[in-house]
Amino acid sequence: MSQPPRLTPGSVVRLRREGGVAHFPGLSQPRCIRCDRYSEAQRDELWQLLSRAEAEAEAEAEAEAGRAPGADRRRFRLSVEDANGAASWAVAVAEEALPPGLIEWWRRAETQAENGSAP
Amino acid sequence: MTDHSASGGRSFLPPYLLERVASAGSDHQRECARQTLLVDQQFRARGGATALPPGSPERGVPARYVHSAEQRQVLPGRLVRREGEGDSGDPAVDEAYRGLGATYRLFWEAYERHSIDAEGMALLATVHYGRDYENAFWDGQQMVFGDGDGELFNRFTVALDIVAHELTHGVIQHEAALAYVGQSGALNESLCDVFGSLARQRELGQSVDEADWLIGKGLFTERVAGRALRSMARPGTAYDDPLLGRDPQPDHMDAFVETEADSGGVHINSGIPNRAFHLAAMALGGRAWERAGRIWYDTLVDRRLEQDSDFAAFAALTLDNAERRHGASSQEATAVREGWRRVGVLS
Repeated sequence: MSQPPRLTPGSVVRLRREGGVAHFPGLSQPRCIRCDRYSEAQRDELWQLLSRAEAEAEAEAEAEAGRAPGADRRRFRLSVEDANGAASWAVAVAEEALPPGLIEWWRRAETQAENGSAP
Repeated sequence: MTDHSASGGRSFLPPYLLERVASAGSDHQRECARQTLLVDQQFRARGGATALPPGSPERGVPARYVHSAEQRQVLPGRLVRREGEGDSGDPAVDEAYRGLGATYRLFWEAYERHSIDAEGMALLATVHYGRDYENAFWDGQQMVFGDGDGELFNRFTVALDIVAHELTHGVIQHEAALAYVGQSGALNESLCDVFGSLARQRELGQSVDEADWLIGKGLFTERVAGRALRSMARPGTAYDDPLLGRDPQPDHMDAFVETEADSGGVHINSGIPNRAFHLAAMALGGRAWERAGRIWYDTLVDRRLEQDSDFAAFAALTLDNAERRHGASSQEATAVREGWRRVGVLS
C-alpha cells in the first residue's frame, strides 16, 4: 500500500461501505466526492484522512495476521481517481478502523446528492 | 472535518435517511447524526482481540457471557449476564442470552456438539454495540449486536436466527473454515442461515410446513417494505424497498451473480444453497433439524470439506453423507439430490 496522491480540483474520491449481515443494494452504492467543490484546505484535510485510513489499513493487516477474520463485518473501500477518471489509489479498511472524520465525509457525500447537487 | 457550510452543510444523518429526509429531520434523527460526530476512535473495537473467559467443562451445559458495549464501539464491554443468572431486565441482553442458549441446545441436543469449538468454548456476546449501529457480526472470537437505528432496523437480537447465524460463523471457523469469498463464502453464509433457521424452528417447535423460512424476521421496522433479510424458500423475495433496494438473491445457478461486491456475493449467492436445503427439508417433511439438518451438519464437520470448496463439492458431500447415513436409494439421498438438482448445482 502507498499514500494517496495529492488531491487536485480534478480528483474524485469514491467511498463505498460493504459487508454486513446482509447485502442491501440500496445501501452499498459508492459515494462520490468531487474535489472541485472543496477548498484547498478541505482537500488537504480529506487527503490527511485518506492517509490515516491507509495507515490504519496497514496496521490492521499486521494486527489481523494469523487471526480469524470473522464474518459479516463491514469494510470501506476508498479510491481516488485523477482528472482523466483513471483510478490512481485504492485501499480497503475495516469499519472500526476508519477515521471518524472520513465517515463524516462519507455521510456528507450522500447529503449533497440528496440535495440535487453534484456529490 | 472543517467548515462545510459554504457547500451546503447540515446535520449528518444516517445515510439511508438522507435519501428521504431533508433538513426537516426529527429530533431523534438529528441526535443520531450528532452522536456520529462524537464517536471516539479510541473506543473502537479491534476484531478478535478479546481474551476469552473460561468455557464450560460440562458437556450439555453452555458458558454464556453477555456484555453491553453501552453504545460505544468497544469489545467486549461490561459483563451484564453470565451463565445461570436470571433475567437482567435489559431486553437485548436477555434476548442474546436466550438466543445463545437455543443455539447451543440445537447443536448439543441434535448434533452432540459442545459449543462453538466442540470443546465447550465460551459463548461471548456483546449487545448495545455502537450508537444506532445497524449490523451484527462475528469478530473471530465473539458475537456483536447493534441496536439498529430504530428508523429502518430494530435491535439485532430480536431475531433468534440472527443470533444463531453469528454463532454458526464460529462453528464454521472451527471446522472447514470456509473462505469468506465467492462460492465458499456463500456456503459459509448459507450454513449460518440454515442453522440459524433451524435454531429458531426448533425453539418454536415448528415442522417444515409451519416454518416461514425467513432469516431476520422482525429486524425491519414497519417503515421498510420487506419481511426479512432473506427468504430460504423464495430467495430474492424478502424485500423490495425504495431505500434498501430489492433482495438480490438468486434461487438458481442460472441467475448466479458474478460480483466483486459483498466479498464476491457471499450474502447474495447464498440464496442458491439456502433453497437447496429448503427443498430437501420440505421433501423429507417433519422437523428440518432432524434429517436434513443432520445431513448438513455431517457435511459441515466433514474433513473432506475444504476451505475453498464450491457449491458442487459441497452438494456432492451432502449427498454422500445422506447415502452413508441412510443408504444410496433412501428417501433422504433422493431429497438431497433433487434439492441440488432443482437449483442447478447437480445435474
